[in-house]
Amino acid sequence: MSLTPLTEDQRDALQEVLNIAMGQAGDSLARILDAFVELSVPRIRVVDVSHVADTVREMVGDRHEVTAVRQSFFDDLRGEALVIFGANGCKDLADLMGYAEELDQQSERELLLDVANVLVGAILNGITETLGTELSYSAPSIMAEKAQVETLINLDQLSWSHALLLEVNYSLENRDFKSHLLLLMAEEAIDALRGAIDQFMESI
Amino acid sequence: MLSKLDAAPLLEFILDRVNIGVFVLNRNMEVVLWNHFMETNSQRPSQDVVGKNLFELFPELPKQWLERKIQSVFVLKNFAFTSWEQRPYLFRFQHNRPVTGGVDSMRQNCTFLPVKSSSGDVEFVCVTLIDVTDTSIYQSMMQDALNKLNEASNRDGLTGIYNRRFLESELNKEFCRVKRYDGSLSFILLDLDHFKNINDEKGHLAGDEILRRTSEVLSSCIRESDSLGRYGGEEFAVICPQTKLKGAMILAERLRQSVENGNFSFHNERVPLTISVGVAELYPDTPTYERLIHEADTALYQSKEAGRNRVTAFERPA
Repeated sequence: MSLTPLTEDQRDALQEVLNIAMGQAGDSLARILDAFVELSVPRIRVVDVSHVADTVREMVGDRHEVTAVRQSFFDDLRGEALVIFGANGCKDLADLMGYAEELDQQSERELLLDVANVLVGAILNGITETLGTELSYSAPSIMAEKAQVETLINLDQLSWSHALLLEVNYSLENRDFKSHLLLLMAEEAIDALRGAIDQFMESI
Repeated sequence: MLSKLDAAPLLEFILDRVNIGVFVLNRNMEVVLWNHFMETNSQRPSQDVVGKNLFELFPELPKQWLERKIQSVFVLKNFAFTSWEQRPYLFRFQHNRPVTGGVDSMRQNCTFLPVKSSSGDVEFVCVTLIDVTDTSIYQSMMQDALNKLNEASNRDGLTGIYNRRFLESELNKEFCRVKRYDGSLSFILLDLDHFKNINDEKGHLAGDEILRRTSEVLSSCIRESDSLGRYGGEEFAVICPQTKLKGAMILAERLRQSVENGNFSFHNERVPLTISVGVAELYPDTPTYERLIHEADTALYQSKEAGRNRVTAFERPA
């Protein structure tokens, strides 16, 4: 790794911000899913671009096929969020949300997009509210369906040098539902985040 | 530069006239703003709409789903989206391509934005609606082209039946299916007898014509579930899913007779034609799909050796 984009203090502060955000995200999810949602404490990693693919594979585990949804965010912070669901992610969610019948492919996609949008929005809104920044979002889209983890991130197409990866596990009412959320941010966006964290640390 | 005050009427003009639907709802699902795009397309002027409940105005809207979506913006203070790919439209509007469209109504992408008050609560939800009919048409054109390309890559250029690459991948799929779920599978390989003579004596155009006619005759004999392809120069193959050796032998004999009685001709000159056929069935101990091809090929060779124009089943060693 070439440099460490966040100091130890900034990292701790970000972890704290995320913990608060996760609380809000859990609350939001519970309301939208009508189910009790347990969120793990997020693990943060800031990684050099050359390690992103490996780190993602390590986080998600490389044995399974995954479905991924991507969503852009912009304004004070700029980047892309990826939500990675396990192969059965959608079925589990559909069960949970009371879809008794088999979902057709389009409803399944709509459900995944909605849930990804809620997850991303909940966490990023939590961050921006705590940090006092503003964000806008573009529509989420399906990035890969039933794909191998290692095919998700194409190193040649990455235009940024560092990524902030958040690993968040969700458990839904005794079900083993797992998804991972990744925030990928360009260098200057990490700068902006760092600035916001510094301000936040001064204010408390 | 315009001051914020001077810019206000300009912004109002843009908001009204921009080629995007914009409307705003309050917590009671009452419309508080309805721009020109919405007026024109819904044929409801703003004064008829503002102050009224959206679902009473448009009973055809999918209320349960849409209300939940809008409520989620109020509750979560989060953006929400709909895409034409999952949900073609929110409002059934006409599109502007009545001649070149091919779709029945305007395709729409919608964004639901939370409008927060100074206290941080969401006071309104602003919905923007973008006409993406063009995008949807281009996408379906692209999909058609991809499908055609995909189909073409599976076909033999001369005869239009499947090519060897596709046959082998199909056979592999069937092989895996039988290995996993049981069932039966047979494979037929056949070769035109003395085809070289036709090419040598009547020329390659004649040879091509005979290959095309043969594939037509064979196509008319096989069953819906069988896959016929050109395996090599004058070699054809049939994959017979859920078929045991006995059934495949009956089909193979039918193929042989049809070709023998096929009345082939080139430039009004009769070209007598026969085929030699080899048939093999997949057994639990057949290790690979390539092995099945090899066994059919062995049987085909025996047909040739025994004088051609006949069908032989692969004999498993006792």
